[in-house]
Formats: sequence, structure tokens, C-alpha cells
Amino acid sequence: MTTALAQRPVEGGRGVLRRVGQLRHTSPGRLQLLLVVLLVLGALTGLVAGVTAQSAAGGTADLRDRAQPLLAEAETVYSALAEADTIAAQAFLAGGLEPQELTRRYEQRLAQATTALTAASRRTPEGSAAAEAVHALAAGTTRYAALVATARGANRQGLPVGASYLTTASELNQQTLQPQAQALFQFASRELDAGYEQARSSWWLILLLVLVVALTLALVGTQIYLSHATRRTFNVPLVAATGLTVLLVAATGVLFALQRDHLRAADEDGSAPVTALAERRILALRERASEALTLAARAGDDAHEDDFQAAQARLTFDDRELLTEAALMHQARARHDAYLRLHEKVRELDDNGDYDAAVKLAVGREATDAFTALTDTLDQALTARRAIFEAEIQHAGRGLGALTLLAPLLALTVCVLAALGLRARLEEYR
Amino acid sequence: MRRRAPLTRTRIAVAAGLAMILAAAGCTDPADPDATPAPPPPTATTTQAAPGTAACDARASLRPTGALPAPGKMPAGGYLAAIQKRGRLVVGTSQDSPLFSSRNPFTGRVEGFDIDMGRLIAAAIFGDPEKLQIKVIPHADRTAVLTGEDGQPDVVDLVINTMTANCARWQEVDFSTVYLETGQKLLVAKDSEVDGLEDLAKQKVCAAVGSTSLQNLENAAPDPVPVARNGWGECLVAFQQNEVAAISTDDTILAGLAAQDPFAKVVGRRFTEEPYAVAVSKKHPDLTRFVNAVLERSRRDGTWKTIYDRWLGTLGPAPQPPAARYR
Repeated sequence: MTTALAQRPVEGGRGVLRRVGQLRHTSPGRLQLLLVVLLVLGALTGLVAGVTAQSAAGGTADLRDRAQPLLAEAETVYSALAEADTIAAQAFLAGGLEPQELTRRYEQRLAQATTALTAASRRTPEGSAAAEAVHALAAGTTRYAALVATARGANRQGLPVGASYLTTASELNQQTLQPQAQALFQFASRELDAGYEQARSSWWLILLLVLVVALTLALVGTQIYLSHATRRTFNVPLVAATGLTVLLVAATGVLFALQRDHLRAADEDGSAPVTALAERRILALRERASEALTLAARAGDDAHEDDFQAAQARLTFDDRELLTEAALMHQARARHDAYLRLHEKVRELDDNGDYDAAVKLAVGREATDAFTALTDTLDQALTARRAIFEAEIQHAGRGLGALTLLAPLLALTVCVLAALGLRARLEEYR
Repeated sequence: MRRRAPLTRTRIAVAAGLAMILAAAGCTDPADPDATPAPPPPTATTTQAAPGTAACDARASLRPTGALPAPGKMPAGGYLAAIQKRGRLVVGTSQDSPLFSSRNPFTGRVEGFDIDMGRLIAAAIFGDPEKLQIKVIPHADRTAVLTGEDGQPDVVDLVINTMTANCARWQEVDFSTVYLETGQKLLVAKDSEVDGLEDLAKQKVCAAVGSTSLQNLENAAPDPVPVARNGWGECLVAFQQNEVAAISTDDTILAGLAAQDPFAKVVGRRFTEEPYAVAVSKKHPDLTRFVNAVLERSRRDGTWKTIYDRWLGTLGPAPQPPAARYR
């Protein structure tokens, strides 16, 4: 009994297949089959065209509104923390009360870090590693600020323990916060890659291409069959359907070609230089911090100076990503060289036992100005590249929203026209 | 697109390095694991070597030869002449051992008892105490910076860093005569009833990483929980943030910490003895003898007492300076 029950639907299924298969032996049957094929292909094309446009539009918007801003925020958090640490080390070196200028910059950078963290927490999916990094960074930054405030309080009273609070804060910053900020930065850059992937919607496009080709072949094939089977050379609704399909192909092709070109420009002229510039700014900050830390440690050419050399080796200005800002990079290199000359002088003074003069030069106006000139140049290039990204991504998204609606409508019209064109022939067999 | 490489890979090491260097702290060695708890008369005891090394009198140094040469007129051919030619005396120390060598937050200068000892020696060589270069050295490297390994020149001429003279270290470096006798105690909260290590079973007690104060805690019974920080200042931070119940090291260092925190007090008896001496390379016995002559003079002419009163006056009136012993 059970076997009979199990087999009955299979037999029924075979029955349907057999009946459909038999259709191709009669003319009206063949017309019915062609109609079904055209309707299915038309519907699928419309659906996939809509989904593709939707996915590309969504991906582009996501890139613009989430992935790129998240990367910018991660970069802000990272460099703000690195700079806060640099400032703290310099303030330590300067001795006495912290210079007001340094205090103001520290407050500013800390505020930037916390603001960026708040924004980043909205852009990271809850429960992800990135969200955890954001939470840990928010909590850690509060603790860091508290330690620095205590250090200042102790320093104000002339207690040497202030320096130890600063050291504890610096350790927290370098060993915990900066690695977390770096993880967030890397997460954001992976998100950006994924964002470009989604915006391109390559798999959907390939599927759409296959369907459109199949639909066009089916339409053309149907018309050839009809012109053989009947005496009419042209079936007007089917010709119109073919025209609309070509129109759909053309519109989709043009829009996606434009979108991809703008995406490429946004990536190559926007995101890639922005990332490279952000990296270089952090490397420059690391140089500056290492210099201050070397002096603060008072141990001569030690691990911090090695760290300086490592950062310097990676701080290049002629990479492929940076060619678009060649003029500014030329300037940046010159300014970096000027700063390096001062750094060498600082090391020379310290190595020859003139510690006080080395400190004076390192935290003095000349070195500060030289370094600020470098970061200003990098900032200028960053701002320019961010603007280019904004403009390109704006262009990339253009027209995709309309396509989301138009493509299914066109496909629907193709279906209606196909139905009209074939129904007239089917009527003849009634 | 170019992907970001890790930027902070070395920063962790750097931070640790900074911490260690900022923190290189007053070290103490157990003078004698079986020492009687009460501080014996400083010159009457013999510091025992660690098990396995030959017993020696760690307090006995090389006898000075003749009178001190006049400043700026160091005997030709010796190491002293080389220092004079260089134009500065390089001293390895720390910058966060309060009262001994710590950074004055107002001036940014490192100062204290140990630094004044260095200034005395610089003044004897150059006639100018300012001809002193301070190099902060990692705690664990205090003998290595003097042994000049791999044919490298020595990093420093002297190490003056609350460094205990003991027989294990005599194997690697020479020590001057003792310039201060100290011993390990405890720093606890003002309202604490703790009166000794025995009251701190299962409680967290902080000491500087690599110091023998930390080793003493690890070997102590009943077990306190030793917490290692990079320096004494950071131990005070941990104490003030309620991360540890106590700090334990030489009473002289604890005095410097307690002076910064009105809610802390130093308690208990000295449970180790730590004779501080200046460490010198074994290659330069002339320098050791010279340092001993300078110390001898400072004991005689009252300079030692002035320096003691200046930095350690809070501990009470200056005791007799430790008498010099020679081998």
C-alpha cells in the first residue's frame, strides 16, 4: 500500500511531462509551448533585471553611506588615538605644565575619536567583531582619558607619579586601543571591498545577460518559426517585443557600463588613494611618536628609534595609488625630508650627550612646524581624494533607481506583446 | 585596491619598552635569604652569595690608591683620562625611583640621591657636576651595560640605580663601597591593619618587574599574590586604582612613594637587607678605586650627610654613613 501511494504522484508527474512532450507534435501545441517559454523568459528577465538594478543601486548607496564613511571613521579613531599618544609623550618631554597648544590639540583629537566611534557604532552590525572593537574602544578611550586626566592632576601638584599615570595611559593606548582601532580599520577596508563587489553585482549581471540572450533568441526563433509556418513574414507584436528587449539591453548596458566606470574611478581615484594617504598619515604620526618616546625613555637609540626607522622605510610617496596626487606628494616628500633632517639633528644631539638640547629641538617650534606642514599636505590630499570619491559614487548611483522600476515594466510589456502576437495565431486553430 | 598592512605591530613592543625604561626601577636583591628580620648593624653582616656561588663579602670593594687627583687632571693612560677626554660621565639609572632617580615634573630633570652620587663623581673628574649624562637603562640590563659584550664599547661608565651589591653580581661587575643600607618593607593603605607580609596571604602585592623585591614576594610564605608592574611609579598607580593591596620594596623607595600619597603608609620591619653600591665594569678597576675615594671623602666632609638629608630626611635624621670595607 505504501509503495503504491509513494509511486502515484511520480506517475502523475510523468503523465504531465508526457502530455507536455506530446504538445510539440501538433502546431497549436508548439505555439503553446513557445508562448510559455517566452512568458517565462520575459518574466524572469524582468525579475532579474529589477533585482540587479536594485542590488547595484543598494550596493552603491551602501558604499557611499556606510562602507566609505566607516573607513573614514576607523581611520579617524586610529590616527586620533595615535596622535593623542604622541601629544602626551611630547607634553611629558616638555616638562612643567603641559603647553596649552598641546592640551588643546589633545582635547580636539580625543573628541574626534569619540565622535567617530559613536558614528562607527551605527555602521557596524551588532554582534560582529567590528562592533565589539567599537564597544571596547569606546570603553577604553574613556579609561584612557581618565588616566591622562589623573596624570595631569598629579603633575599639577608636582607628584612624580603623574609620569607613571601617563605611562599607564600610554600603554593602554598602544597595547590595547591602537590594535583595536587597527582591527576596526581593517574590518572597514574589507567592508569597502565587499561594498564594491556588491555595487558591481557581477553575478546578477551575468544571469541577466544569459536571460536576455535567451529571451532574444526565443523571440527571434519564434518569429522565424512563424514566418515559415504561416504566410506572414512579420508578426507586429513580436517585432515590437524584440525591439523592447533590445531597448532593455541597451539601457541596462549603458547604465551599468557608466556605473562600473564611475565605481572604478571612485575606487582608483578615491578609495585607494584615501586609504594609502590615511596609512601614510598614521606612519608619519608613528615617526613623531617614536621620536618623542625615544627621548622620554632617555635610553639613546633603542627600540623606539628602530620603530622610527621602520615607519620611515614604509613612508613612501611615489606609490601607484598616489600618482593622482603627484604634485602634493612631491610637496609631502620635501616636507618629510625637512622633518627627517631635524630628526637626525635631534638624534645627533642626544647621542652626543646633549639631552636637553635634543628635547628642546624635538618639541620646539621648528620641528612642530615641519611636522605639521607634512600632515597638512597629507590632509589636503586626503580632502581632495574624499571629494573625488563622493562625486564619482554620486554619478555611479545615477539611473539605477529608475532602472529598478523600468526594467520589470519593459519585461512585462514584452510578455504582453508576446502573448498578443501568439494568441492571434492560436485563435486560428480554434 | 592596496590593503592596509598592520601599522602597530611594533608599537606593542615599543610601549612595553617605554614602560620598562620609564620604569627601570630600584632593584633589590635578597641580601641573605635567611637574614634575621631585625636590621643588623650595617657593617657587621656579610652578604651571602646566592646558592651555588662562592661566598664573598659583597660589601668589600677595591681600596683607593693615594689621594684623589685634582679635577680635570686625571692620570694619563687610564680609563679616567678617557672619560675626561670624552667630556662627560655616563651614568645608567632609572627615572622613576622617587628620591633616588626620578623625573622632577616641574623641570623635567632627573634628580635624587643616586643622581647626586653621580654628580659628586662627575664633579671630582671635571670640577663640574653638570658633566653628567643620564642614560635610562632597562632593569634587567644593569650588569650587561657594563660588561660590553660582543666587543662593543660599554653603554655607560657607572650604574647608580638603587642597586644592591651581592655576590652573584660581583661575578659580573665590580661594586664601589656601600653608600646606603636599606631593606624591604611594605606600603599599605593608611587605614590598613597589615603589619607584615604574613598579613597579606592571598592578597595582591605589587613590585617592579625583574626586581628581586618581586622574587622575594614569590618566595614568601604565606603566599601573597605578586603583581608585576614596570616600575615603582606604576605600582603606585595600581595601588591608587585599588588593583593591589600593597607595594613591597626597599623602605627608601617606599618613602618616596608614600610621600606622594597621603593615604598610604610604610609598615613592618625590614625583612631583607640591601646595601646599595655603584656598579663599575671589571675592566676599569681604576674607576672603582676613584669612586671609592670620592665616596670616602663624602663620608668625611659631610657631603654624604647633606645628600641624605636632602632626599631621605623624611625618614629621620641621617644615620652614620656606611663605613667603607675593602678587600
